[in-house]
Amino acid sequence: MAARGRHWLVLWLLFALAMLFWVNARQTASVVLASELRDLRAERMAAEARRAALQRRFREAESRATLIPKAEALGLRLPVDSEIVTLRRPPEER
Amino acid sequence: MAKPAVRLTVIGAGFAVGLAALAARAAQVQLVDGATYAARATAQRTDSIVLPARRGGLFDRDGVPLATTEDVYHVGLNAKEFRAGRGDVALVARRLGVNEGQVRRALRRPYAHFEGPYPADRVHPLRGVPGVYLETELVRTHPDPDFARLVLGRPAMPGRPASGLERVLDSLLAGTPGRAVVLRDGRGRRYESPARQGAFPVSGHDVYLTLDATIQDIVETALAEAIERLDAAGGDVVVLEPHSGEILALASRGARGAPGTGVFTSVFEPGSTAKVFAAAALLEHQLVEPTDSVYAEAGKWVLPYRTMRDDHEFPRAWMTFAEAIRVSSNIGTVKFAQRLTPAQQYEMLRAFGIGAYTGVEYPAEARGRLPRPDRWSGTTAQSLAIGYELSVTPLHLAQAYAAIASEGVLMRPTLVHRVRDAGGRIVYRHRPEPVRRVVQPATAARLRELLREVVTEGGTGRSAALSTYELAGKTGTARVAGPRGYVPGAHTAVFASLFPAENPQLVMVVKLDSPRGAYAALTAAPLTRSVLEQVLAARTGALDRRPLAVDAPPEAAPAADADDEPAPRHVVAWPPVEEAETAASRRVPNVVGLSLREAAARLHRAGLQVRATGFGTVSGMTPPAGDSVAVGSLVTVRAEGRSP
Repeated sequence: MAARGRHWLVLWLLFALAMLFWVNARQTASVVLASELRDLRAERMAAEARRAALQRRFREAESRATLIPKAEALGLRLPVDSEIVTLRRPPEER
Repeated sequence: MAKPAVRLTVIGAGFAVGLAALAARAAQVQLVDGATYAARATAQRTDSIVLPARRGGLFDRDGVPLATTEDVYHVGLNAKEFRAGRGDVALVARRLGVNEGQVRRALRRPYAHFEGPYPADRVHPLRGVPGVYLETELVRTHPDPDFARLVLGRPAMPGRPASGLERVLDSLLAGTPGRAVVLRDGRGRRYESPARQGAFPVSGHDVYLTLDATIQDIVETALAEAIERLDAAGGDVVVLEPHSGEILALASRGARGAPGTGVFTSVFEPGSTAKVFAAAALLEHQLVEPTDSVYAEAGKWVLPYRTMRDDHEFPRAWMTFAEAIRVSSNIGTVKFAQRLTPAQQYEMLRAFGIGAYTGVEYPAEARGRLPRPDRWSGTTAQSLAIGYELSVTPLHLAQAYAAIASEGVLMRPTLVHRVRDAGGRIVYRHRPEPVRRVVQPATAARLRELLREVVTEGGTGRSAALSTYELAGKTGTARVAGPRGYVPGAHTAVFASLFPAENPQLVMVVKLDSPRGAYAALTAAPLTRSVLEQVLAARTGALDRRPLAVDAPPEAAPAADADDEPAPRHVVAWPPVEEAETAASRRVPNVVGLSLREAAARLHRAGLQVRATGFGTVSGMTPPAGDSVAVGSLVTVRAEGRSP
C-alpha cells in the first residue's frame, strides 16, 4: 500500500509538472505571438504611411494646379465642348 | 529564579501568544483586508492604458481619400542604452533627417527627445535599435490640405473646436477607444501582458461624401482663376445632381486667395435668377401663356413709389412672357407678376425653399430671408418678382433650380453618400429625400423651356452656351445691400444653370461678388461654360454620358446577361415609394476570368464605372463581386496574362 501511495504521489507530481510546462509553453507562445503581432502592426503602419505619402503625391500630380501649367508649357490647351464628342459603342460590342 | 518548568511554560506561552498574534495578523491581512491589498498589488504591477481609436476617413464618392488618420511617431534616445559605435548614430540621423553631430550632441543628455512627428515608414527601421524609443500618436492628415477645406473642416484640437463635416460627423468618425492592461516592474517599465487583454479599440466609420474630387478640383481652380481675372471680391460655386440632391462640388473663395464665407452661409439677393419663381407661380396657377404680351414701356416704367428700368431697351413695344424671361426684363416680369396674389407669390417662393433651412449636413447654414405677406410694403411684390427684398444662399438657389430639373420635386441636398463601418460593411447609403412637390411636371418642363431660351441668341445667358450641348439657365445681376442701403458700384453676378437642358444631370450656381464687368452675362455665365467644358473633358463618373452620346438611340436595350439588372434610372417617384429607393444600388457582377473588354462591357451595363489595371484576363476586382454599390460607383479590375 505504501508503494502504491508513493506511485500516486509521483504521478501527481508529474501531472503538476506537466501542467506547469503546458502553462509555461502557452505563455511563451503568447508572448512570441504578441511580439510578431506587434511587428506586423508596425509593418502595416509603415506600409499605410507609405501609401498615404504616395496618395499625396498622386493628388498633387493629378491636380489641375500642377497639370495645367505643364500642359500650357507644352502648347496644349483645354478642349472646348465642340471638340468633345461622346460616341456610343456599337450594339455588337455591348 | 523560577523553576525550569515554569520558565518553559512562560516561554511556550510567549511563543503561543506570538504565533497567535501572527495568525491573527495574517488572518486580518488575508481575510479582512485581503481584497484591498490585492487591489493595491495589482495597481502597483499593472497599468490600465487607453488605446485611442483610429478616426474614420473622409473620401469622395469614388473613394479618393480627402482626410485620413495616420500613425506618427516622436523619437526618444536613452543615452545609457544607445550603442553609439555600431553605426546606429548614422541610421538615426538619416531617419530623423538631422546630421550625425546633432544626434551625438543629443546623446550627451541622459534622454534626448526628437518631437517630429515622423511618419511610420521613416522610423520603421529604428524599431529594435537599443536605446531608441518610439512614441506613437494618431494624427489627421489631408492628401491635399486646401481641397474642400471649408466643408471638410478639422477635428477638435486642444483650444480649437471641431469644424465642418468633421464636427457634424464626429459621432460616426470618432470610433470607440480601447483599453489594455500592461505589466509594470519596480522601475515603472511597462511590459505587454497577453494574458490580461482589455478591449480592442474600434475604428470610426469611413464616410464617403457626395463630392466628386475631379469636379471639385475643376470648380476650385476655375473659381480662383475667375476671381483673379475679374478682380472680384469673392465668389461661390455649387454643383448639384438634381435628382438625388447630392452635392458634387462646392467652392467658396475671397479675393487674393482668402477663404470665402461658404455656399451655405453666404447670403445675397438673387436678382433676376429669382424671376423664374414668379414665372413658376404664374404657370402653375395658369395665369399666363408664354405668348401673352405686355407693353415694354421703352425700358423705363414710372410707378407710384419707384421707377422700374430695364438694362437693355427691348427692341419692340410689346414683349411676350417668354421674351420677358429671355431678356430678363424687370418691367415685363413685374407686369406679369401683378397677376399673382401675395399669397400665391409667397407660397411659391416658400415652396422652392426660399427662407428655410435646406437641412444639409453642415454645422452652419443661413436660412436666408423671405418676408411674410403681412409685412410687405407697397413695393415688396414687385421687388420679390425681380429677386430683391429676399435673400438666399448659393445652395438655396441650386436646390430651387434642381427642383425645376427634377420634374418639380424639391430634393433635400446632401453631402453624405454612404458610410462604411470598420469592417467594410455599408451601414448607411443616401437615398434621395424629396421635400415636397413644388410645381407639376408640366410646369417644370415649361420652365426648363423658358430657361433654355435664355441661353440662345438674344438671351442674357448666351455667353454660357455650349456648341454641342444645350444648356438652360438664368442670369442675375443684383445690387449689394449694405447697412446704409445699396452699396454704390457693388454687384452680385449670378448664373444658375441646368446641364443639359433636356434631362438635366447637373445644376450649377456660379456667384461672383463685384466682378469687373458687373453683368452676370459677362462674368458668371462664361465661368459656367468654362467649368462645363472641363467637366465634359474630365474622367468623372458623375456624368452619365450615354444620353450625351451622339446618335444615341433613346432607350437602346443591351443584350442582357443572366445576372444583369435593368439600366438604372435617376428619377425619384413622387410620392416616394420603396421601389424608387432601392433603384439607387447595384450588385457588382462577377467579371473574374473574363477578358478586360468583356468585363468592362458587363460592368458598364450594370451602371458602374470601370478602372482597369494590366492586360489580359481579369484576375481580381474591387469591390468584390456581389457587393452592393451605388449606381455609377467605380470598380477597379486587375488583369494579368493573356486573354482567353
